[in-house]
Amino acid sequence: MRDLRQLRREKFAPLTYLLLTFALFLTMILCICVGSVSISVSDTLTTIWNSVWKLPVPESIAKNIILNVRLPRVLCVTLAGAALSLCGTAMQGLLRNPLADGSTMGVSSGAALGAVTAMATGFTLPGSSYGGIMITAMAFAFGSLILILSLAYALDRSLSTSSIILIGVIFTMFISSIISLIITFASDHTRSLSFWTLGSFSGVNYEQAALLLLALVLCGGILFRFSPELNAFAIGEDNARHVGVNVKRVKLIILITVSVLIGVCVSISGTISFVGLVMPHIARMLVGPNHKRLLPASLFSGAIFLLLADLISRTILSPIELSIGVITSLVGAVAFVIIFYQTRKAR
Amino acid sequence: MSKKLVSLFLALLIVFSMTASLAEGSGITVTDMYGREVTLTEPATRIVVMQPSDCEILCAIGCEDAIVGRGQYVDYPASILEVPVVQSGENTNIEEILALNPQVVLMNDMSQSEEQVKQLEDNGVKVVVSKAADIEGVYFAIRMIGKLMGKGDAAEAVIADMQATFDEIKANSKNEGKSVYFEVSPLQWGLWTAGKGTFMDELAEMCGLTNAFADLNDWASISEEQVLARDPDYIVTITMYYGEGPTPVEEIQGRKGWGELKAVKNGDILNAESNAISRPGPRLKDAAIELYNFINGIKTEEKPAA
Amino acid sequence: MIRVPDVIRALEGNNVTVRYDRVVAVDALSFHLDEGEWLMLAGPNGAGKSTLIEAIAQGIPYTGSIRWKGRDLKTLKASDLAQRIGVLSQKNHVGYAYTVEEVVGLGRYAWKAGLFSGRDDRGKDEVEKALEITGLTALRHASMLTLSGGEMQRVFLAQVFAQDPQVLILDEPANHLDMNYQQQIFSLILKWLKEPGRAVLSVVHDLSLARRYGTHAVLLDRGKCVSQGLISEVMTPENLRQVYGMDVYAWMREMLSQWQE
Repeated sequence: MRDLRQLRREKFAPLTYLLLTFALFLTMILCICVGSVSISVSDTLTTIWNSVWKLPVPESIAKNIILNVRLPRVLCVTLAGAALSLCGTAMQGLLRNPLADGSTMGVSSGAALGAVTAMATGFTLPGSSYGGIMITAMAFAFGSLILILSLAYALDRSLSTSSIILIGVIFTMFISSIISLIITFASDHTRSLSFWTLGSFSGVNYEQAALLLLALVLCGGILFRFSPELNAFAIGEDNARHVGVNVKRVKLIILITVSVLIGVCVSISGTISFVGLVMPHIARMLVGPNHKRLLPASLFSGAIFLLLADLISRTILSPIELSIGVITSLVGAVAFVIIFYQTRKAR
Repeated sequence: MSKKLVSLFLALLIVFSMTASLAEGSGITVTDMYGREVTLTEPATRIVVMQPSDCEILCAIGCEDAIVGRGQYVDYPASILEVPVVQSGENTNIEEILALNPQVVLMNDMSQSEEQVKQLEDNGVKVVVSKAADIEGVYFAIRMIGKLMGKGDAAEAVIADMQATFDEIKANSKNEGKSVYFEVSPLQWGLWTAGKGTFMDELAEMCGLTNAFADLNDWASISEEQVLARDPDYIVTITMYYGEGPTPVEEIQGRKGWGELKAVKNGDILNAESNAISRPGPRLKDAAIELYNFINGIKTEEKPAA
Repeated sequence: MIRVPDVIRALEGNNVTVRYDRVVAVDALSFHLDEGEWLMLAGPNGAGKSTLIEAIAQGIPYTGSIRWKGRDLKTLKASDLAQRIGVLSQKNHVGYAYTVEEVVGLGRYAWKAGLFSGRDDRGKDEVEKALEITGLTALRHASMLTLSGGEMQRVFLAQVFAQDPQVLILDEPANHLDMNYQQQIFSLILKWLKEPGRAVLSVVHDLSLARRYGTHAVLLDRGKCVSQGLISEVMTPENLRQVYGMDVYAWMREMLSQWQE
């Protein structure tokens, strides 16, 4: 009887990392080779191989499409998927709430409001056309976080999980109405409402991929560094304090890190929901709740998931392109119901 | 004295009843673009117009003074901006329309709910639906509005003028197999283009061009790589320029990978007057001329002999 | 007059007051705990026992001071506090499928905290020892979601043992435990206490258990201290009658008489 309860969990050995890296690499190749315009796999791979090694690439439409459209897009999607999934994992651990995510917390909406405001007012930073929007998105993500936390704190001094989520939901609704208001009055300057609610990777470039990479390395590094604390929070906030975690400080650092990462993602691709909500669950089924293994696993699975979702959005109605959020919400909602059902059944 | 008064009274009575019966006899009935029959006792003198294109039609047939209320996006000609707005975003303010006491509300079939239409009609305001999808539809709308306003002749004149321009452009153009890509929404906001069944597609055909996205219907969001693969000869963007940052044409030229396109290499990118080309109204004529001139390299000042 | 403390107090509370809105849960309470002592917090429901424990654990705001060997707990870093004071709280619930070993191992957190996680050489042994003395070795890989209440309680007790503090603060350590485990656990704590420099403060509802294992006691009623000192001096019939409103001695004797053969 006892033995049945033993969880034989394989160590998250280098082999698992290797497998995940391999799977991600294969998915990336697939997403570069398949697109709304069909280009042969050998042409695609030769083009990439030659440009990586600075060999001459024959001028062609294929080269143009692969190097200027698909590659930057695949890179951005990979990085954003990884980032969003990491954020969701961190939130779910920190708040010990399997429904927590940047979008349920209101951080994504805050970031979107920042980006919309920057666009409507024409705020830019010298040097980078995107810098102003990104900085404002981050600042608003952080600002909304502070607001949510202070409201939650006023409700309940221990900053408990339920009060944060509740305020996050109300805040998201409030922000959404402000965004539609701004778009109504400044629709010529900002992106459409559907971009902010469903997200899109159309027209992303290498500069944005580099920014995403930078944000992911920095913020991802911080989150990995805090995996023991995340474990402590996931077991229980009181317990975390009892074993010596500086609860308020760690909470603040993790929430800021997450809001920076979400700010960067949202300013580049709009709000893409369900990645951060569902992928951590899938990763947890694969490797268990320990963040030392969970964070890398959700990083990889988030990237793979978003790549496939983007592939579908680009190709299913070609030459028409769907919003990526349509796919993630569709797949994500179904996956979520299945996960929810199975976890309930397992209990 | 009293006899005189009585006869005057009788005379007046006769005149009044005659005008009344005359008006009844010449009551106006139009079939709107939703297939509904709408009857007015006399030509409309107070009208609320919700769509920019219908307003432009009204002004073209000389009925600007009859407009007492307008939709949010109605902005041409500039003098119309003095007229009160009865709509914000997706919401139409029925109370405000009723307060303006119009005889007719000209609207599109999308933005108003059936309840709102009923509410208007219950209050004695006629609702006329106008939704032109192609140039034929624009002619229909012009005729319909002309009849509604008692300006049938003016309407025919506007149509004839448009027709003449289109015919002349058609006569002077021949299809050399060149293609055009209409950019309705720029890359930064997600690419959208005009497919079959849009005025842009018709204008392209008129000018002897093939729409690069003729395989799509109406307006559609498309993949960037599709544009690169289809390599159009001309690009027409309708993005507005607000006087800051790169112009829409410069922005397209600066896109990574777009430099390889024929249109970009040859400098064949037009930033079209977006309202003229996207509104199903009389100004489609101007849009057609602009496109024709652009393709044939004629400066805008030298109009073709239209 | 110079006050020279003859004993370094393992834990000393001065004028500790905790307010929830307008309710005073703990009212100007002073207490002390010396090395080798086991202080029992007793009193009926709502007396403020768990609140006091939360305050010692720095989990809720309070006024007054609580000191460990003369150092104010408020000035200690979270990890320094955890290295000195281990807390077993009453409400433990795990939402994710962590294994027993992972939860117990978390007890070592305070010893490896810091930007560059120092090596915790003793860690593995401490965890092994804690698992063994709480009888959890066989369950080490089991998911927390599959455990019974008693097993869960033992896991968190093992965690606090692995934490290796000098003062143990226990809120109802016998909660959910079968009698055999109650006895085992209390003997374990008693054994733990024998090492020099250690002290225990605990809330125990069962007055017989309190009397059996405690050296000292603080009797609380509605946030106020009714009596404190040696356990025998505190648990007098008069004090208990005042707090519980009944003849506790008679009740205990009655209970015991059932067991005479």
